[in-house]
Amino acid sequence: MLTVLLVDDDPEFTDVACTIIEFLGHEVLTAANLAEARDWLTKETFDHVLLDFMLPDGSGAHLFDELDVLPKRPRVTLITGHPSVKGIIKGLCGPNIDYLVKPIQREEIEAVLTGKKNQKKQEPGPKVTRHFGHLIGESTPMKELYKLLERVSRTSANVMLLGESGVGKEVVAAAIHAASDAEGPYIATNCGAFSKELIGSELFGHEKGAFTGAVGRKAGVFEQSENGTLFLDEITEMPIDMQPNLLRVLENKVVIRVGGTKAIPVNCRVVSATNRSMEEIAESKVLREDIYFRLAVFPITIPPLRERKEDIPLLATYFIDELNKENGTNFIWEDTQLDTLKAYDWPGNVRELRHFVHRAAIMSDPEGSDIELPKTIESPFAKKQSTTPALQAGRTIEDVEKELIYATLEKVNGNKTLAAEMLGISTKTLYNRLHAYGDLSKEE
Amino acid sequence: MTESEFATLATHVHDARKPLNRISMQAELVKMALNGDVPAERAMDALDKIIASTKACSESLTTMMSELGDSQTD
Repeated sequence: MLTVLLVDDDPEFTDVACTIIEFLGHEVLTAANLAEARDWLTKETFDHVLLDFMLPDGSGAHLFDELDVLPKRPRVTLITGHPSVKGIIKGLCGPNIDYLVKPIQREEIEAVLTGKKNQKKQEPGPKVTRHFGHLIGESTPMKELYKLLERVSRTSANVMLLGESGVGKEVVAAAIHAASDAEGPYIATNCGAFSKELIGSELFGHEKGAFTGAVGRKAGVFEQSENGTLFLDEITEMPIDMQPNLLRVLENKVVIRVGGTKAIPVNCRVVSATNRSMEEIAESKVLREDIYFRLAVFPITIPPLRERKEDIPLLATYFIDELNKENGTNFIWEDTQLDTLKAYDWPGNVRELRHFVHRAAIMSDPEGSDIELPKTIESPFAKKQSTTPALQAGRTIEDVEKELIYATLEKVNGNKTLAAEMLGISTKTLYNRLHAYGDLSKEE
Repeated sequence: MTESEFATLATHVHDARKPLNRISMQAELVKMALNGDVPAERAMDALDKIIASTKACSESLTTMMSELGDSQTD
């Protein structure tokens, strides 16, 4: 139980506030102005003072000095009727003093008295819209994507999703299913996750005793997603010699379980996904042409995060809200932090952003609302991504060497001695190379 | 708008806020009464006070309009 002093000049307000505070199990005394409050402070010891900012005989802030000299300084919560004063009060009183803005709700009084501040505040914040129940983003590329999804979801056409790793292909697949009003379920499987021997059983099912370990009959994902949506992730990682089987299912709309003889009719929309580009698929022969045309009746390219940077704050807010819900925390982004996130390129796309937000939340003090951002945003894959093309056939050794030298220099902030050491060459050799690239005149 | 007009407006807004704050507190009381946390009679009393506050709020808005209207014609 706390002893609370409520200082406010509106008797009707104090009357109800007292009822609430007493109901919460605390003892409460009231004062209508600064003089009365001062009087109480000499007679009683208080745990908490709820103090109106504007009182008939002066500002509640005048009481601060007197509270400071008390043997036991009560916690203070300032009450103001003006939202505009909020900012001033916040700056004025520092972190140890709470404030409430009228109209006040019961939960807010409860929260300040128990010290669990800000718990209520988060809810009225702008909610992030999830398009088709899954997708977040209001940028032009996303709006175009929504338009495509809306069109295609009304048909039963097979969709192939193309996009870099981490852009959210599975989320888009789920969105297509949600938008399509399909009766059946949404089943997802990863074609890259199964060995050649097992993928047949995963896709088409097997009969009892079809192979060692097939102790029972199993329905494949095609059967499971009857009248629904089947999502085949990493379709290009599917062993090429299994692809004719898949083609047969797609063309005839029947599956034969492994070890079975009966053709079982299937009816589902197949959404497939790959992180390879269309050109790459064509060149590298990871997908048979006939399969490609069956699957990619309607190909959709999902934009990478760097092409829709305006969505980064929305996504970051959504992720932190989710984490808050999960862990009972109250983290809030500051605008400058969101700007920092926006400035980064996110080679790992939304997945990297989510991972980054998660890590920042773990690093931050769970009692506060401030999120602690690491000083630099760095992904081990970021560098790799920029250097991968260097390792493709067709480039000269000099070319690759030059890129490696520059990448190393960048890593060590231009320290040539350190860079030479990392490259395993003498500093002199490094200088010679840089001379040859015509890069030393600038600095030396 | 001149500075003095703005000050007048601020005063009136402050006056109009007061009944609104009262309404919100009384509404909390009604919620508590419905929950059985306080006697039911207090809800009736609170609702009467809510009605009184809406009138007070409306009045102060009317006053504000007429005073600002006066200053416009001056």
